[in-house]
Amino acid sequence: MSNYTIETDLLTKRYGSVLAVDAVSLRVKPGEIYGFLGLNGAGKTTTIRALLGMIRPSAGHVKILGEALGANGRGPWARVGHLVESPGVYPELTVRENLEVARRLQSFSDREATSGVIDLLSLGPYADRKAGTLSTGNLQRLGLARAILHEPELLILDEPANGLDPAGVVEVRELLRRLAEEKGVTVFMSSHILTEVDRLATRIGIIHQGRLIEELDTNKLEELRAKRLEVRTRNLEAAQLSLKSAGYKFILEDGILLTTDAHALEHPDDIARILVNAGDPPTRLAIEQQNLEDHFLQITRDPSKQAVADAQTMPASREIGV
Amino acid sequence: MNLTSAVWAEALKMRRSMVPLFTALGLSLAPVVDGLFMIILKDPEAARSMGLIGSKAQLVAGVADWPTFFNVLGQAVAVGGAIVFAIITAWVFGREFSDRTAKELLALPTPRESIVAAKFVVIAGWTLALTVLVFLIGLGVGSLVDIPGWSGELLWSATVDVVGAGVLTILLLPFVALFAGIGHGELPPMGWTILTVALAQIAAVTGWGDWFPWSVPALFSGAAGPRAEFIGVHSYLIIFLASLAGLVLTFQWWRNTDHAK
Repeated sequence: MSNYTIETDLLTKRYGSVLAVDAVSLRVKPGEIYGFLGLNGAGKTTTIRALLGMIRPSAGHVKILGEALGANGRGPWARVGHLVESPGVYPELTVRENLEVARRLQSFSDREATSGVIDLLSLGPYADRKAGTLSTGNLQRLGLARAILHEPELLILDEPANGLDPAGVVEVRELLRRLAEEKGVTVFMSSHILTEVDRLATRIGIIHQGRLIEELDTNKLEELRAKRLEVRTRNLEAAQLSLKSAGYKFILEDGILLTTDAHALEHPDDIARILVNAGDPPTRLAIEQQNLEDHFLQITRDPSKQAVADAQTMPASREIGV
Repeated sequence: MNLTSAVWAEALKMRRSMVPLFTALGLSLAPVVDGLFMIILKDPEAARSMGLIGSKAQLVAGVADWPTFFNVLGQAVAVGGAIVFAIITAWVFGREFSDRTAKELLALPTPRESIVAAKFVVIAGWTLALTVLVFLIGLGVGSLVDIPGWSGELLWSATVDVVGAGVLTILLLPFVALFAGIGHGELPPMGWTILTVALAQIAAVTGWGDWFPWSVPALFSGAAGPRAEFIGVHSYLIIFLASLAGLVLTFQWWRNTDHAK
């Protein structure tokens, strides 16, 4: 019996010559809020569709709530809620009717569930309005309402905060946190709003060009969040050599000497002394700390920086494929 | 239970849309126009003086009586139904793609097969109801126009002709549903429909209509003459096989294709 709510083994999806998802092995534990990050076209939505049995993997396997997905899309869907891309609604039906259709197709017997979820997502004023007249934000609320209507154990959400105003973003964040903490719901969510993921997720996976390039829990992210020492001098090459002679490895990047060396971070005064003694005193010496956004951009934008990021987050990287 | 829920959902979507109203209005034109033909055929000179037809109009030979009226009605259901019923089918399946709701139907405890079956149930129900509605409107229009030739036997044979043509047309709808899925919308199945209507005419004219499923409903309705002369058991069999193939392929498509959009 699997201990994971979501489990993929070398999940691969190929469309002709395009490799959309490349050997992604994910493990999501019960009750986790897993943030799934990636640039446009990185493979997030393809992965999510594969998790929901909407597309068949070219290779690899998917297990949801311990059940292997069938080739015909069968799975434990009564226990799973989902929101894939923008929510699809029937514009001629009211909000309540859209939810009632979902309740019946979910075979969820609690007739009060529709009203309950309308209140929960603050859709009361729009309940009897046709869904085709809703704003983008309220459509998103309707999509979320449909996803949680049948009290699922697992929520798979693609950009859940899409189109929501700032208050709505906070509201949905708190709702998801409450569902995870109070009801033990596992949340797997992709997002472009990195600050949201940073605040909410208990674990984060970064997918880039179809590959899961990094996986880290937020505690580790806090610890490892790329503190680095930045140094500027009049003669950078000479300074780099002096520091190397003293046992510090600095890289030269965009006119700045950089290191993530723990000793250097703890003793910047030592670095200053070495440079002064070498006759090339620092014009700038600063410890910088990245946020998730910087980190994400660093490892997804520039392959050369990806190597730096890999080195910085080695302990977390080891979780890949666990 | 799953199928019941799916049928309920499909019926709700159909009821809330304008499709039933517009398709009913569209196909109801058939008996009205049929009645107009009868008025013209009864007295062409009066029709000219009333402006119903132009002075240069050359009327196709025909008589204003109930057999002719029912014959025209049967053809209208076979040809008009092929288009109107296809519009209904294209909408029921294709709107899930144009409204981007198809993805909401895939990962549910209600199997995809039940959802597809429910769509066919609602389509069959509404198209059959339309056929009966058109026939009943025809009876009313024919009575108002006051044409001769009515008999109980004629009523029975006309019911078989018109409703039979409707049922045979309905049996050919699964391919329309299939193309709505493959084409992700309403336009590709309508293209398919126009193609089959055109090919049906060619097949009928070249004498191969009895072997071409899409020609059979019109031949059944008596468009070319008594159906016994034009179609046989093989024609019914080929419609059944075409229907079955369309159904199987549509179910397979929903079950097995990659739903990546």
